[in-house]
Amino acid sequence: MAENLWALREKKKLSVAALANRSGLPIGLIMEYESGLRSIDPRHLGRLARALYVEETDITLQSDPRPGSGPLERQPRREAPGRVPAEGSAAGRPPSADPRPRARPPRPRAEPKPPGPARPSQIVHLENMLKRLGRSKEDLEAELGRPIAELDRVAMSELLKTVQPQIGQSDSATRRRAHLPESVDEHEARYLTAAQEGGDRLHFTLFDGSYLNGQVIGFGPFNITVRQADGTEISVNKLAVVHYRRDPAAGAPKEPSA
Amino acid sequence: MSLGDYLRILRARRGGITPWDIEAATDLPKGLYRQIEQRYRAVGDDESIQVLADFFDVPFEELRWRLDWPRKALSRALVAGREADASITLFLSTGQTVTGRVVWWDLGAVGLETLEAGLLVVQRHAVERWDPRATENSPAPGGPDAGEPELD
Repeated sequence: MAENLWALREKKKLSVAALANRSGLPIGLIMEYESGLRSIDPRHLGRLARALYVEETDITLQSDPRPGSGPLERQPRREAPGRVPAEGSAAGRPPSADPRPRARPPRPRAEPKPPGPARPSQIVHLENMLKRLGRSKEDLEAELGRPIAELDRVAMSELLKTVQPQIGQSDSATRRRAHLPESVDEHEARYLTAAQEGGDRLHFTLFDGSYLNGQVIGFGPFNITVRQADGTEISVNKLAVVHYRRDPAAGAPKEPSA
Repeated sequence: MSLGDYLRILRARRGGITPWDIEAATDLPKGLYRQIEQRYRAVGDDESIQVLADFFDVPFEELRWRLDWPRKALSRALVAGREADASITLFLSTGQTVTGRVVWWDLGAVGLETLEAGLLVVQRHAVERWDPRATENSPAPGGPDAGEPELD
């Protein structure tokens, strides 16, 4: 049974703006459709249905206004303050002889505010860095000649900038690269590198049941480029590959059992 | 093939719709679809799988059984096979079966020493099931040379 556009939209937990974005229609137009001010243009029906993942027949062409909502009215365009009406307008002021815009009076410059006290997060960050450096807070305060708590925000920021590089230097000897899954394809990369350098021919079995033979001339995380016997080069996406192995020049490849 | 990998394929077949599109079109809780697809462990229950089966218009069972064969379980079986120096049999989505000793494995592929074809590099996304399945108590994947790390 067909439903009002606004009801479907709310059921899908979409805002008017999101629906407008998905359907490529103006927000104002969608609001007019939802309020029932106008019926949905048949050319827009398909776009709205796709954006809402419903059938076109699920949407009522003429929405009923949502209960409790007032009538939709276009807001009059606000005139910028001090704007001069166009020449020949009802206001009828004669055009100014000098068309240059009048210069604004200079805005009084506000006195710069003194920086506030250091943020608690800055202090915690500093303490953590000191801990990693094996230094005490008291040592640093003695160096600075005043307690850390008395530093303002700007001074603390400068202090953090001086301490941060020390962390980098002290950790560099022991720091290890994160073992991210994206970086863990080294075994296959090693195998392909050896095959490429050795000029080995590889035999690929692809998902569509076809085969590919040739020398590896390059590879990346997602594809392998092969030069075939006739000299043609082809890049195959790894997603299309089931398995591969070295293909000794002599002898037909044996396929794994089906 | 894990449920997450299979859902990626289904998304590609639907013209590459995004996880956000799927969340908007279904009643799945926010973020659940992304977790089902991206986590290495099994995420999701029968209810959410039914929702996805309806959305992709595929049988419920076609998705459900894959939940029991997550990527992490394959990693565990590969580690167990490698440490025990025992053979493992991989059942591929093409219907082929390959058996061999695990020489190495990483995020994308498995190096299997087979009797008939020597070292065979099998792409992980082609592996549907395997035998033997490692138990939950088997050594978890990880370490400097073990490939896929513990994600969750």
